[in-house]
Amino acid sequence: MTAEGGVQYSKIAEIKGPLVVVDDVENAAFDELVEIETKEGERRLGKVLEVGNGKAIVQVFEGTTGLSISGTSAKFVGKLMEMPVSKEVLGRVFDGLGRPKDGLPDPIADKFIDINGEPMNPEQREYPKDFIQTGVSVIDGMITLVRGQKLPIFSGSGMSHNILAAQIARQANVVGTKDDFAVVFAAIGVQYSEAEYFRRSLEESGALKRSVLFLNTADDPAIERIITPRVALTVAEYLAFDLGMHVLVILTDMTNYAEALREISAAREEVPGRKGYPGYLYTDLSTIYERAGKLNGRKGSVTQVPILSMPSDDITHPIPDLTGYITEGQVVLGRDLFRQGVYPPINILMSLSRLMKDGIGAGSTREDHSEVSNQVYDAYSRAQEVRALAGIVGKAGLTDIDLKYMDVGDVFEKEFLTQATDENRTIEETLNLLWKIVSKLPKNEITKIKDKYIDQYYREN
Amino acid sequence: MLSDSLLAKSIDKILEKTEKEILINLENSFSTAKQTLDDSIPKLEQEFEKIISDGKKEAEKIEKQIIGSSDLEVRNKQLLALEMAIGEVFTKALDQIANTKHNEDYSNLIKTLLDESTKILGTTKVIVYTNSKDKDLVQSLLSKYTGAELSSQSINCLGGVIVKSKDGAMKFDNTIDARIQRLKPLIRKQISSKFGVGN
Repeated sequence: MTAEGGVQYSKIAEIKGPLVVVDDVENAAFDELVEIETKEGERRLGKVLEVGNGKAIVQVFEGTTGLSISGTSAKFVGKLMEMPVSKEVLGRVFDGLGRPKDGLPDPIADKFIDINGEPMNPEQREYPKDFIQTGVSVIDGMITLVRGQKLPIFSGSGMSHNILAAQIARQANVVGTKDDFAVVFAAIGVQYSEAEYFRRSLEESGALKRSVLFLNTADDPAIERIITPRVALTVAEYLAFDLGMHVLVILTDMTNYAEALREISAAREEVPGRKGYPGYLYTDLSTIYERAGKLNGRKGSVTQVPILSMPSDDITHPIPDLTGYITEGQVVLGRDLFRQGVYPPINILMSLSRLMKDGIGAGSTREDHSEVSNQVYDAYSRAQEVRALAGIVGKAGLTDIDLKYMDVGDVFEKEFLTQATDENRTIEETLNLLWKIVSKLPKNEITKIKDKYIDQYYREN
Repeated sequence: MLSDSLLAKSIDKILEKTEKEILINLENSFSTAKQTLDDSIPKLEQEFEKIISDGKKEAEKIEKQIIGSSDLEVRNKQLLALEMAIGEVFTKALDQIANTKHNEDYSNLIKTLLDESTKILGTTKVIVYTNSKDKDLVQSLLSKYTGAELSSQSINCLGGVIVKSKDGAMKFDNTIDARIQRLKPLIRKQISSKFGVGN
């Protein structure tokens, strides 16, 4: 940081959507921070998107509403957008641009870090293989999250993804280590009531102490949403790689982020891609998701759980589609389960954690974890087929074994999947519940579990 | 007489049989009751353990809530107190700067600020604004910058200059106030470390 400021230009050529075009600009740099000052002296932040031919295109984070060509000036600050970080950010609530929203002063910065982060050297990356306990049975037992993983939640409008996100934020923990754990929660374009829910939920559970909240509400300017995940990840990286903490970053809702990106792209008159999203949506999303991981020789980790609501529950929509290419699996919420009142309504047949196999088993969860999980997955899949068959031939037309599978399906949804929003189950409890489901089946139907585990855990009903 | 004794025998037999049946029934009921009681013991024990573990979990949760919120409350109060102290230090420092007597160092500082400003704007054809206190000093230095003029308008600042290009398109704020503002986060850190915070 230098004492030298930047030049203030007052020749505004054009104001177009969220963009301001400044004329006769010399020495501006790509991504440089810009302070826009209105006639009334109000200041807004922006960044340079393009420079050349004496012009600079500035994206104004707080929107251009109320700005006029005459009387508006743009000051090129001479630095990139930075987030002040220190351990003091824990327990704090910020807005979408990283400014305090809790009535407390700016944190005393230990460092000022460029919010775009530095790409992780692929050679320095360490393979994620340590278990994170969320306390949510279906995630811990069947779609296990590991430290350094990026595991998105695909939801739909109106479903309980925000309740699930808050529950994970409250309960998540690393087991078997005394390392510090922190949660960075970025709410992107959420309703005011949801933002309040997140804040209250963390405050009341005592989890705010180890959390950092970034709240961009629906009535905040859409362009601010471009910055929110980046400031959140900057703080997460600092906590992880400078302070050695294991950090879980929850980003909700990434669909609002992509829509803000689309708005800017349209204002820049770029050639639209699928559904009007810019052609670089994949690249842009990867600059966020790829900030998850672990580094060789460093203690901490950044784990990401981005949440996105699929427009019309369409999993082929560009946002979930491109997200799925970058991330390591997905947790899909099912509309049918949600309608039945099941919470969390996770459709395990469409969900997958690609790194689960490396984060479970002896030494991290329990030796039988993988096998019992596979068996339950298989049984639930069979239960769904039997349910479909029963819909045609009726229950009377089913065999005894079919009826047992139907029973397995019911127990799975009622006792394992269904969980109270404040119920924090240990991995041991989760695995015991999985065995309770498996024990509904006769032994000869258990094909995926070694006999020694069956002898140890199977309980005949 | 014979029939009386037969009747008595039959009654005795019936009584005996009934007695045996009642005893067997009693024994069966006793063993069933005992069995039920025995069966319920592990269930009760399980239920007892569940209640205890639920209670422990709830207690842990409440303990976390209480400790978490009180820790935060303490921290927040500390932050506010620190900020108040930093504010006071700032006010005193600004007062001190405002009351500093102008000496040669100050004259050199204004010259540096003018050099920096014209270099950044890329021209010396500028209008310079300063406060009423510094006007004479700035005026005396401007002769070295071809085309530079001092504005008749004074600005309200601790010291330093605002330099504007003559076409009005570019402005550079190089007042002491602006420089302090830009360095404020670093100065706050230094002040807080004097209070023993963030070391």
